[in-house]
Amino acid sequence: MGTIITVTSGKGGVGKSTTTANVAVGLAQAGKRVVAVDFDIGLRNLDMILGLENRIVYDSIDVMEGRCKLSQALISDKRSKNLFFLPASQTKDKSALKKEKVRELLEVLKKDFDYIVIDSPAGIESGFENSIFLADEALIIATPDVSSVRDADRVIGIIDAKSEKAKEGKEVKKHVVINRIKPEMVESGEMMSVDDVLNILAIPLIGVIPEDKKIISATNVGEPIVYDKNSLAGEAFRRLSRRILGEDLEFLELKSKRGLLGIIKGLFS
Amino acid sequence: MSLFEALFGRKKKSAEAAKDRLKIMLAHERVHALPYIDDLKKDIIEVVKKYAEVNDIKIKTEKNQDIDFLEVEIVLNSPSKD
Ligand SMILES: Nc1ncnc2c1ncn2[C@@H]1O[C@H](COP(=O)(O)OP(=O)(O)OP(=O)(O)O)[C@@H](O)[C@H]1O
Ligand SMILES: [Mg+2]
Repeated sequence: MGTIITVTSGKGGVGKSTTTANVAVGLAQAGKRVVAVDFDIGLRNLDMILGLENRIVYDSIDVMEGRCKLSQALISDKRSKNLFFLPASQTKDKSALKKEKVRELLEVLKKDFDYIVIDSPAGIESGFENSIFLADEALIIATPDVSSVRDADRVIGIIDAKSEKAKEGKEVKKHVVINRIKPEMVESGEMMSVDDVLNILAIPLIGVIPEDKKIISATNVGEPIVYDKNSLAGEAFRRLSRRILGEDLEFLELKSKRGLLGIIKGLFS
Repeated sequence: MSLFEALFGRKKKSAEAAKDRLKIMLAHERVHALPYIDDLKKDIIEVVKKYAEVNDIKIKTEKNQDIDFLEVEIVLNSPSKD
């Protein structure tokens, strides 16, 4: 039976879709059979990040409403052969997802895949509930700013209330991913550090992703940054994926290049 | 604290302000997210009413997600005001 990982956040735009894509690729590269599922109904964009937008014929709503078979809607990735993608519908109606249909779909996927990585919409309305109610694990994405951390805290607080696992007395594994860390700002005291955020949210850390311009260019061309062996954010996503698989890896030490030591080094190099 | 900071005082860095503001804000929000908080308040008021007039009850927490600490402040109707 596969594991359902829901990628969520309170605030929008903090990196859920980016994380979903990179974790899905990272897990597939580690040899797992993975499906990335876009549950951000009406606002699909995981397809673009994965570079699969041109191959969409059917979507998850078509599957749930019986307009096609699951196998017809699943898109296989070219680069990672263990990776599949199930697109979101672009109908504007977010209530298009019916809980019982979602359950049927996810139960079938669980039989066929090791990991089901779900990209969820921002906020805590019905779309969130559909994304979280069957989750085994949740990755809560937060950026180090007050509104993102505040909203992350609210989401963490309601995950168990929405989860079936929690109702059965089991626990949804919850981890935080801190995204868009800017080391130079942390060093000058103008951005909360990873420790600051952890101290407030009090759930375990599973990933720290630096701010990286390469993420934007990677999204432009539809090749998740995790494929880029030379990028720091790519390495951060590779480690995040391997931690999900249970490896105990150190967190990247993120330091500004403009620190004093950097300047001195720069003079002698 | 450096001598400079000691002599001239230190301007609070914005990250520190962020931390402080979040802590205060979340101490309130987490309590309000508890499903039983309204019932708990009503029950406390009922009990205290047996002994004194209650004006208001404020409940907050210092703790994180797994709340294990509630601070209850019971504001009594002071008789002198009547
Ligand atoms: N670490 C990072 N460094 C630089 N840019 C980033 C980083 N993480 C995310 N971004 C950029 O931020 C934007 C928002 O990211 P993304 O779409 O993944 O967020 P989201 O949480 O899925 O948003 P929404 O709530 O709208 O679904 C994108 O343009 C993305 O490329
Ligand atoms: Mg998104």
